[in-house]
Amino acid sequence: MSQVALITGGGGGIGGAVARRLAAAGITVIVADYDHGAAEKIRGKIVSSGGKADALSVDVTQAREVKALVTDVEKRFGRIDVLANIAGGSFYTKRIEEFTWSEWKEVIDVNLKGTFLMCREVAPVMQKQKSGRILNTASNYGVTGSALRTPYSAAKAGIIAFTKTLAQELAPDGILVNTVAPGPTDTPRVMGKESPEARKQRWSEIPLGRTGQPEDLAEAFYFLTTPESNWITGQTFHVNGGLVTP
Amino acid sequence: MRLQGKVAVVTGGAQGIGRVIALGLGHEGAKVVVADLQADKARDVVNELLALGSEAIPVEVNVANESAVKRLANTTFDRFGRVDILVNDAGVYLKSPVVGMSEELWDRTIDVNLGGNFLCSRAFVPSMRKQKSGRIISIASGIAHYGAKEFAPYAASKAAIIGFVKALAREVGTDGITVNAICPGVANTAMPRTHRTEEELMARLRSNPLGHVLEPEDFVGPILFLASDAASYITGQAINVNCGSYMI
Repeated sequence: MSQVALITGGGGGIGGAVARRLAAAGITVIVADYDHGAAEKIRGKIVSSGGKADALSVDVTQAREVKALVTDVEKRFGRIDVLANIAGGSFYTKRIEEFTWSEWKEVIDVNLKGTFLMCREVAPVMQKQKSGRILNTASNYGVTGSALRTPYSAAKAGIIAFTKTLAQELAPDGILVNTVAPGPTDTPRVMGKESPEARKQRWSEIPLGRTGQPEDLAEAFYFLTTPESNWITGQTFHVNGGLVTP
Repeated sequence: MRLQGKVAVVTGGAQGIGRVIALGLGHEGAKVVVADLQADKARDVVNELLALGSEAIPVEVNVANESAVKRLANTTFDRFGRVDILVNDAGVYLKSPVVGMSEELWDRTIDVNLGGNFLCSRAFVPSMRKQKSGRIISIASGIAHYGAKEFAPYAASKAAIIGFVKALAREVGTDGITVNAICPGVANTAMPRTHRTEEELMARLRSNPLGHVLEPEDFVGPILFLASDAASYITGQAINVNCGSYMI
């Protein structure tokens, strides 16, 4: 029987690439996204290249929606082997005194709370199976911080510590929990905001001399679902061209 | 096969983790130079590789000796014409409390473990630079982060390897060369048996969140990943393969 992966933010740049990489390896992929149209697009690409996929809507900040999503997936697919929590975003760049409480909460909720809610619902399914891989998404900013992104940096650092804790809690059930921390990655979300000059300047700061592609990230996520990573848990995989080497 | 046609050099390739890395690389299609101080054992590993259908040669080398490392590089280029992957695994594991430690024990550990990384990387980087691609993978240790009683030079050398890897990654990145370290957790090999009873060792090996006894083979997958195209945007990192025994 095919493995089943549930990917939040699966309609986005990195999420979409992860969904396609896992599907190419024969895994049935459930592409979950706040933006149903984006999820459908990725589902379409996977299916047209011979993979198995479904597209579902979810707002990961809403406990009821998360529960309904996981219940639905378990009912229809019978298992969840991989959970990739990729939904997230920084949304704002501004000084701390300009952040409203609701903006702060928005960023913390989508990144950190969403990861918690998804893990809380999916972990029991994996515990029944006595196996599973949970892949959370941090950022190099979770280690270095990033001026004008206080809630995002805090949320991503929080995800790293949350991952380590959950890895310890779920290890007895044979469930591995790791974080992938992307560095600068060419996604539509990032590229739309950047001038060509800013982009060149950024490249000069990256030891490998280029920004990452969503496919680079997808390979790291995929590796962490394979037997080759059987003995890696609680760790943070930095995929950033050498920009940050903690 | 992910490494078809690539040429790999594995120092310390005659036994333990180095041996299974050499076999793993061969299994993925790489031609392998098994470099080790122990020439007989290196030859045995080469025979195993040949039986797998891989191309391989043994080279006797003391990685802390400049001219010996030069010979290793020359032999590699003479035979295979290039190098794509360098795995720095050669190391010594010598026990002594700091008070009373001989200078010789200190020097030997730092020279072999850390100096070997420097000399071998220095010998192979120019050729990787010319071809605008290469993979350097150094075997550090969880002890770099955790320390280990009466193994101060070993801990220092392994932590220094991680610093070296980060610096070299920044130096050679624009030449398409990635440099990373693997930090193995304590594994079921000859090394930890030098100072523990069998019973103590097995209890220690099992005391990790996953409750799994790490075997040398368990480190091969992550190394093959780092050696493959899939990891082309990962550099300057130290990857912990330790069943969650610590998380940093």
